[in-house]
Amino acid sequence: MKAAGLLLAVLVVTGMARAQDALDCHFAPGWEPSGPERQYVADNLYDYKDGAADGYLIYGFAHMRTIDCKSGGDTLTIDVSEMTDADAAYGLFTANRDPRLPIAKIGMGGQVQAQSGLFAKGKYYVEIAEVAADAEADHSATIQAFVAKIQERLEGRETVPEALEWFPKENLATVRLIPESVLGLRLLKRGYVAKYAQGQAFVVLEATPESAAEVMKKLREHFDGAMPTQIGDEAFQAKAPYLEGICVFRKGRYVAGYANLPEAQQATSLAAKLAARIP
Amino acid sequence: MGSHTSRREFLSTGLSAGLALPVVGAGSRMGLGLPSGEPEAKAGSPVKLEYRTLGRTGLKVTTVGMGCMITSDPSVIARAADMGINYFDTARGYSQGNNERMVGAALGSRRKQVVISTKSHAPNKEGLQKHLETSLKELNTDYIDIWFLHGRNSPAEVPDDHIEVQQLAKQQGKVRFTGVSTHSGQQQLLPWMAQKGVFDVVLTAYNFTMDPGMDQAIATAAKAGMGVVAMKVMAGGLRRQRPGDPLYKKLTQDGALLAALKWVVNKPNIATTIPSMTDMDQLDENLKAMGNPYSAGDEKLLAAHLDAIRPLYCRMCGKCDGTCQKGLPVADVLRFLTYADGYGQFALGRERFMELSAEHAAVRCGDCAECTVKCPYGVEVQSRMARAQELFA
Repeated sequence: MKAAGLLLAVLVVTGMARAQDALDCHFAPGWEPSGPERQYVADNLYDYKDGAADGYLIYGFAHMRTIDCKSGGDTLTIDVSEMTDADAAYGLFTANRDPRLPIAKIGMGGQVQAQSGLFAKGKYYVEIAEVAADAEADHSATIQAFVAKIQERLEGRETVPEALEWFPKENLATVRLIPESVLGLRLLKRGYVAKYAQGQAFVVLEATPESAAEVMKKLREHFDGAMPTQIGDEAFQAKAPYLEGICVFRKGRYVAGYANLPEAQQATSLAAKLAARIP
Repeated sequence: MGSHTSRREFLSTGLSAGLALPVVGAGSRMGLGLPSGEPEAKAGSPVKLEYRTLGRTGLKVTTVGMGCMITSDPSVIARAADMGINYFDTARGYSQGNNERMVGAALGSRRKQVVISTKSHAPNKEGLQKHLETSLKELNTDYIDIWFLHGRNSPAEVPDDHIEVQQLAKQQGKVRFTGVSTHSGQQQLLPWMAQKGVFDVVLTAYNFTMDPGMDQAIATAAKAGMGVVAMKVMAGGLRRQRPGDPLYKKLTQDGALLAALKWVVNKPNIATTIPSMTDMDQLDENLKAMGNPYSAGDEKLLAAHLDAIRPLYCRMCGKCDGTCQKGLPVADVLRFLTYADGYGQFALGRERFMELSAEHAAVRCGDCAECTVKCPYGVEVQSRMARAQELFA
């Protein structure tokens, strides 16, 4: 027991050391630290992020190291957050990225803008925010330099979660991890939602086929007039307020489907295509 | 209410005050399409909607509003508006601006029937102005009803040039009312805001676990004509808790979160509340806070909750400062212990503990025959400190 505790402590310390190595104001010329490094856990993240702290906690936040850097009249803040796992880190990235801009190949995914940058790699989610003397200045080269150095120093997965590949690419706008209540339904606890030019697709990852079947049972009860249809192991289609035409199916432990289509039948035909891509 | 009032008395006072309060004050018409007089409850709404006047703004807001920060699906916001909730809160910093965009899109044609508040955390005048323009664009609106300076916890964090930006935005018609949001330091900040006289609204953390002295600060703000909006009303809800934490069991009891919301809703100086909502079930549950008075059953639930957390939970009230005979910074050490015990961050807790002076790090609380630190909220200081020393030293 003691050995296990010691091992855990070593792992935690090692993880923190990696995050610490990734915090250095000298990654770009002319930048110097401004004040000491700060650290946050769930109970004091509000002190730093105010209400935005909830956005971290809901995805599975463990710990954050932060440093401020200065160069002349410009200040740059680097946050390196350790999340519970790589999916959580990527999930937070999908929530915070600008969906109107492309995703760059930085770790699992990232974006660099004129005065900000963010990316996820392994269980780390990194945000860089600059407060520049000139609010309109383009400092993307500086941000890029920091991003490159930081991601070199963080270990972990660089591939996106497998589920992202299941969504059909045609007319796909964005994909996001929803940490709780997919489609605003508590029954659909956690999963990916893909927005399309019309409608949205979703995949919820249940622990077992049995628990997924239980979710399906409750969903059928939830939607008045649910009509059975033939997709995966079981499926139904319905029309519902706010979700419009919807089709939900179960394939193994996955509960998935389409919503917000004008007609339930349209949702069903798209859901069949999605089901074919889920292993 | 004096600061020596017991927590049980505090809860009970909330109960008696809540049952007697008038629901709607006389509001003035502020134009821009918002309803004057008593807004009508929406057809099909399962609960009675309750309204209060938001201080000098004259806006009539439902006592339960909606914090949109962690809402993922716009349908929840749209349905909340359709059910009659008319106060929606977001911020420039939430999800890097994605939250504002979603709120704007979800409310869409309902814009004129609702009050939207947003906030800017920009640290300077130029940043505030830039944020305001971006917020207007992302929310897809010509005006923001209430624009807060985000997360300011002392008067020093509200400099004059930030207030000037707010006032200018008001003159330009981009903002109808201005305010400050705050998570701590309210007992200094709120009286200062009241005296300053330029703020219409304050958005403050407020819930049943907080120092009773908060009531006086809120009363001062309300008396000065400021509308008071409460956030963090669920005392962190479940998000900060994990299975095994003392709070977890209590807050997962049926009705516990609703009781916490009702406790705030029934405070007469609070105009509205902004609990976070991620799904339709939560929305339906929270709406019940308007239809049902704070009851003896609610009081029992919250009292049990407080009893459970009392020995462990440091409220950072500062009343133990300087009372340890060995000079230990008690609140800090309790926080280090929380890092390890509460959040599994042993290394962080130890690192912070090791930053104590050698003299303080060497203290062993078990050596004191009697502890001179008396926590007004019942934290078992000596045993908690001894645990920290055993764990970290």
